[in-house]
Amino acid sequence: MSDPVRAALHDVELAALAVAGDRQAFGELVRRHGSAVRALLRRMGAAPDLADDLAQDAFLAAFEQITEFRGDGTFQAWVKRIAARAYARRWRRVGRERLIVETPELADGPPPDPGVAIDLDIALASLSEPERLCVSLCYGAGFSHVETAAALDTPLGTVKSHVKRGMDKLRRRLAPTADRLESQAHG
Amino acid sequence: MAERTFEMDLDRLFGEHPVFADAELFAQRVEDRLERGWTFRNLLIGGLGLAGGLVAAIQLMGYGVIPRLEGLSQHYAPNVEVNWTDVTLAHVLPGGLQVNGEILWMSAFMALAAIGFAVARAVRDF
Repeated sequence: MSDPVRAALHDVELAALAVAGDRQAFGELVRRHGSAVRALLRRMGAAPDLADDLAQDAFLAAFEQITEFRGDGTFQAWVKRIAARAYARRWRRVGRERLIVETPELADGPPPDPGVAIDLDIALASLSEPERLCVSLCYGAGFSHVETAAALDTPLGTVKSHVKRGMDKLRRRLAPTADRLESQAHG
Repeated sequence: MAERTFEMDLDRLFGEHPVFADAELFAQRVEDRLERGWTFRNLLIGGLGLAGGLVAAIQLMGYGVIPRLEGLSQHYAPNVEVNWTDVTLAHVLPGGLQVNGEILWMSAFMALAAIGFAVARAVRDF
């Protein structure tokens, strides 16, 4: 259960407490960012159960190396990178058919903006496995093309091709959503 | 320009995510695993400390430190006709207790075990 005192603290303060061994403070960080990490892994193509397992492992790994989090980026982005790297490693090692599901299972709860989240998830499902993985690594986990190539042990040119093709497909699928976002930003 | 705008939109779309209904349960599972890992680590460090203390005690006994110390005391102080252990233990232990080498080494073993636990605690806390 969330502790009101810890719930009022900033991520960086909670991380500092976690460095000192405060596991409840780290639990608060998990509470805040768990859904984001799980959603990213599902968007990368992981089946829901695997996504949840990998997300748990990513948070445990984050606790082990919490001293490396210096607060120059967000905690969520940092954990997402750990989780994305773990999925990429697994994707390289294990047969892809066991890791990739045809259509991702959507979240149980209502998304903050149902239109936006569902549009993206459906659009991602229309991509091929490598396209989806490369696009998610670059735009969901914040990897550069070079980092994506290294994580997937794939030539840089191949990664760029996957990203470009994936982006073209997404642009066609998401055009109305993107227009809506733009109009929201300007209006 | 349009490409850049779409990339920014995509960044924003990836930033949006659903809040899972079982988010609290997920967090609880991670906390439970952290707790289990912490307990296991403490037991491991404490166990290693205890094993280290035990090995040290066995090594000391195996090398026959008592006879050597007694030999040294007799060699360097031949005029003092008491054993080193007798002198030491008679002043340390309460009256009525039989003073012999076993008690000495049991005490030494317990001291080493205590040091092992103290080190384990220090490693955990600092």
